[in-house]
Amino acid sequence: MVNNTLVGYNKKELPGKIQVIGIILLLAGLALGVIGFLTDYVRALHNYLVMFMFLISIGVGSLFLITLEYIAGADWSVPFRRIIEFLASVIPVLFILVVPLIINMHDLFHWTHLEAVEHDEILKGKAPYLNSTFFIIRAFVFIAIWFLFYLLITRNSLKQDKNFDQGLTKRNIKLSAIFIPIFAISLTFSAIDWMMSLEPHWFSTIYGVYFFSGTVIAALAAATLVTVLLMENGYLPSIISYDHLYSFGALMFVFVNFWAYIAFSQYMLIWYADLPEETSWFVHRWTGGWEYLSIFLILVQFVVPYALLLSQPAKMDPRRLKIAAIWLLFAHFVDLYWLIIPSLSPKGYTFSWTDFVFPLMLTGLMILLFVFNFKRNNILAVGDPKLERGLNFHL
Amino acid sequence: MNIDYAKELPVIEGNPNLIDIDNVIVKPIEEKANRKFFLALAVSGTALLIGVVCVAVTLFYGIGVWGNNQPVGWGFGIVNFVFWVGIGHAGTLISAILFLLRQKWRTGIARFAEAMTIFAVICAALFPVLHTGRPWLAGYLFPYPNQHGLWVNFTSPLIWDVFAVSTYFTVSLVFWYVGLIPDFAILRDRTEQKLKKTIYSILSLGWRHSHRQWQHYEKAYMLLAGFATPLVLSVHTIVSFDFAVSIIPGWHTTIFPPYFVAGAIFSGFAMVVTVLIFVRRVFHLEHIITLNHLEKMNKVIIATGLMVGYAYGMEFFTAWYSGVPAETFVFVNRAMGPYAWAYWIMISCNVLIPQLFWFKKIRRSILPMFIIVILVNVGMWFERFVIVVTSLSRDFLPSSWGYFKPTIFDLGILLGSFGLFFTLVIIFTKFLPVVSISEIKAVVEGSQPVHHQPTDGGTHAI
Amino acid sequence: MQSNTLFAVAAQFNEPNKLIKAVKIIADLGYKKWDVNTPYPVHGMDAAMKLKSSKLGYVTLFFGLSGTALALLLMWWTMSVDYPMIIGGKPFFALPAFIPVTFELTVLLATLATVIGMLSVFFNLPNNSHPLHDTNYMQRVSADHFGIYVEADDKKFNAEELRTLFLSLDAVQVDDIYVPLKEKYPILQPKFLVFLTIVFAVTSAITYFTLNYLLYMEPFDWMVSQAKVTPQEKVETFRDGFGMRQPVKGTVARGFLPYKFMGMPAPAESLVNPIIPTKETVELGKRKFLTFCSPCHGNFADGDSRLRGQFQNPPTLHSTRVREMNDGMIYHIITNGQNAMPSYAPQITREERWSIVNYIRVLQRAKNAEVTDVQKVKKEPVKNGQ
Repeated sequence: MVNNTLVGYNKKELPGKIQVIGIILLLAGLALGVIGFLTDYVRALHNYLVMFMFLISIGVGSLFLITLEYIAGADWSVPFRRIIEFLASVIPVLFILVVPLIINMHDLFHWTHLEAVEHDEILKGKAPYLNSTFFIIRAFVFIAIWFLFYLLITRNSLKQDKNFDQGLTKRNIKLSAIFIPIFAISLTFSAIDWMMSLEPHWFSTIYGVYFFSGTVIAALAAATLVTVLLMENGYLPSIISYDHLYSFGALMFVFVNFWAYIAFSQYMLIWYADLPEETSWFVHRWTGGWEYLSIFLILVQFVVPYALLLSQPAKMDPRRLKIAAIWLLFAHFVDLYWLIIPSLSPKGYTFSWTDFVFPLMLTGLMILLFVFNFKRNNILAVGDPKLERGLNFHL
Repeated sequence: MNIDYAKELPVIEGNPNLIDIDNVIVKPIEEKANRKFFLALAVSGTALLIGVVCVAVTLFYGIGVWGNNQPVGWGFGIVNFVFWVGIGHAGTLISAILFLLRQKWRTGIARFAEAMTIFAVICAALFPVLHTGRPWLAGYLFPYPNQHGLWVNFTSPLIWDVFAVSTYFTVSLVFWYVGLIPDFAILRDRTEQKLKKTIYSILSLGWRHSHRQWQHYEKAYMLLAGFATPLVLSVHTIVSFDFAVSIIPGWHTTIFPPYFVAGAIFSGFAMVVTVLIFVRRVFHLEHIITLNHLEKMNKVIIATGLMVGYAYGMEFFTAWYSGVPAETFVFVNRAMGPYAWAYWIMISCNVLIPQLFWFKKIRRSILPMFIIVILVNVGMWFERFVIVVTSLSRDFLPSSWGYFKPTIFDLGILLGSFGLFFTLVIIFTKFLPVVSISEIKAVVEGSQPVHHQPTDGGTHAI
Repeated sequence: MQSNTLFAVAAQFNEPNKLIKAVKIIADLGYKKWDVNTPYPVHGMDAAMKLKSSKLGYVTLFFGLSGTALALLLMWWTMSVDYPMIIGGKPFFALPAFIPVTFELTVLLATLATVIGMLSVFFNLPNNSHPLHDTNYMQRVSADHFGIYVEADDKKFNAEELRTLFLSLDAVQVDDIYVPLKEKYPILQPKFLVFLTIVFAVTSAITYFTLNYLLYMEPFDWMVSQAKVTPQEKVETFRDGFGMRQPVKGTVARGFLPYKFMGMPAPAESLVNPIIPTKETVELGKRKFLTFCSPCHGNFADGDSRLRGQFQNPPTLHSTRVREMNDGMIYHIITNGQNAMPSYAPQITREERWSIVNYIRVLQRAKNAEVTDVQKVKKEPVKNGQ
């Protein structure tokens, strides 16, 4: 623990009650989740998958934001990098979280049913890619890759707190440059594996980019939310100004637009060409009540945040940003729900109470991980050479 | 080379004073043109003239003189159109997106890139208009109440193109002009000749560098940048829709919009680097358009090159994954069919060769950089060629397959479009400031009041 | 050329910091009509000058939204009201396909309104007759100096005080700026009139040439002259000189079935009705009967024409003669025509003609019902109210 008085940073401990809230949420979610598995097994499994994808979004998305900072040479985000690093700490947990999904694969993925594949020319053609062995290998390899980069980058960053070595920044820049192409590929194929292959006949080349856009929104929203909360409660140096918040607001705004752009492109092209092999996926999301969710998704993920963040003062207002961040986390959850659950009941919407269980578990987990990291490390990357520039950032 | 990450790299090297900046940028405008200028103009003018002759022949005999026919109905006309629109995208990207991202290094290159945007869009617009066969009837493309009682088809991507390209051209021009107003005022206040002064006075609209003006001006610039950013995405997206809304295998794929945008930025940056290498040499702007600028642009080139590579990969993978035989065939045909040569030129120039930019040495040395960016331009032209020609030459019905060959007029008009582009660029360097003077002044060290400097510059000595 | 009226006192500084200091003092002193001139926008000046934030964004928002609304309105009206057409199986109001144009028009209107609004309304440009133009002050602030001026119109204006204030703040130079003399531009000037005449002559010549010659020249002639044969045109290519060719002898039109009793008084006995009288075919027959037959024969085939004596009324179809005709004969009359009645073969298809025959049978039966029929109905009540 270094107290760097130069930047006016003194570490303040989090109140214990946050940890308690985290534990309660996690345990409640876990208990309800188990009940869900026992009562409505397949639905609960799909809801669990939604949560799993959400955690990939936050964890890997945060890692992407970190590497983006290094590679773009950005300085404004340096004071918040540690927060984002804490959020990325969910990556190692993915190793455990993926296990229930792998065990119950047979109930998630139609293509694991070998007898069905045998009578299906298209699935037979996909078998070299969509088979259980290769799938499991891919799942673990991707998580392992993310974990490796998470470990290397955060270790360098933490080491820098103590030795102020500029060489570590350089090393992280190199790691980031290598990570970003790997990130693009691994995230794309994760999205294809975990979500697109739920409806194994359907395909869309933009799918990876679509998931990426949501991922970045979720990671940014999580980082913004934590930053604003910490700022309001005096955990960050007072020099941090509205100009910093503006960058968060602007980035969220940009990615909300980017998501809308990608989502519209995908929908418009499939709607326009009207080919039977492609439209099925959207038809499932436009029948029996799902159409309301589809329209709701447009509102929730684009229209509302767009209006919230449009004006320049709104992008700097901590209160507005807090609302927008919570809203966008919710939006990403709806997005993933919309991607996954209609594959389970393509005929129409069905209600299940298990839909609401796993967000509790997810929130509890993230709080605990954050508290755990917060206790052990500085919340400010005190050794980063760009920190001072970052703190003095002005528009 | 060791970089001190604690300090920001200066945008301008050598810390010149404000008058020096005026002098060095305005020099080519105020001085008489030299031999080099006329030589360059002669070369590009010759190319332009060849193009003009080929266009005249096309207009007189009709587009039957071009190589496109059944089944390849979209030949060079559309390939060149997409190529030039793509080139145009870097300008708006540099001036708008980098402005929003507050990347100060854009100041040195923004003006030039914006000019290139406008010239490239002019070149691009020529092709579809010529492709219509009777360009003087282009007014029909716009919806106006007419005696036929007909309207244009708003559900057609070709009409979207008309709106996108004309909006893009107008907005780019306005953006460029707004940026030029303060510089015209500077030119007006420097010159002694009456005619020049009158022209510059008219063009500057009587700008007074007043802060009450600057305040709104900066706001307007940000708003324009905010609009130009989605606009630049929309334009190439709509160009990609021309292909992707159809059901031709190899054209109809959902990744086309972002893939085309990434490709456009990729080729546009390559073109900007190509031209800037000359400009900074010829006009002695090495301290304003520094090696750092070029290196950053090269980084953008490798990033967008990887995005393009990602899209190639995804297309190929999904073609196989989809299980649609026509789709799979098209991609195998691209890589191994009669146009395999074009495909492999595309892959090597766009994906493989730019990987050399991973090496810092190559990113920072002029000659290798120049060769790579030229190859990127070649590769991106072939990308459009591969998309347009291979998909059309062999689609669903093997009995109607064909092989497209360009005619001499196709090649002549392509050459002519380069001639037009470079002629406009050369004329631009003579008559307008190639770098935004007022923006450069604003980023010189010490140009901003003290409260914006770090509170304590040299304290990082732990 | 300047008058003796003082416009402003202007000071030049060589550093932005000094300017900011001066600006803060001038703003605090409560001057209203003053401004700062700097070669580039200096950060922090808004706050120092106590300027309110720019309202330009509202112009953009308003015109942007107008662009959206106009685009959607235009496309809705043209594509689904004025000239609705099904294109590619899409609905008349195909919203996803309208998004691109809507977006473009939004951007176009918003940006143009922003720029034009800023330049003409906010700045009141173009204005090249401002007193600051062509002064040494303007030339310096355009290049590398940082200027501030206070207008003589300001209520608190005192030239001497300001000069001392600026000099005390380390100004490099302090100037008095005078209002320039108004220049006059008389219209009745020989030079201007000659210019006007030339413009007139050139415009007229170009218009005349375009409208009378250019539009009739190849290739600008809108493809009026084309190497093609137009209908009814005489050509040398064929021996008979007809541009339009006749079909080959013995060509049979699509769907054409020859009727071999055409022109004969009666068909052969072998011509029998192929249409089984079902509800559908009888209704078809009724529809066709009402359309084609009823004007002369009457709605119930009583021979009560609606034509008010334009033609002679045909006889009733309920006569014994007609009732005893076989189906083939009635069909033959419809197909071939009889007396004043022309052939209806071109208007009514074969199936429809047979259905009409069936319907005539229904009418005849209804008009000549017997008591036994009523008993039959009573015995087996008709379902569905028929």
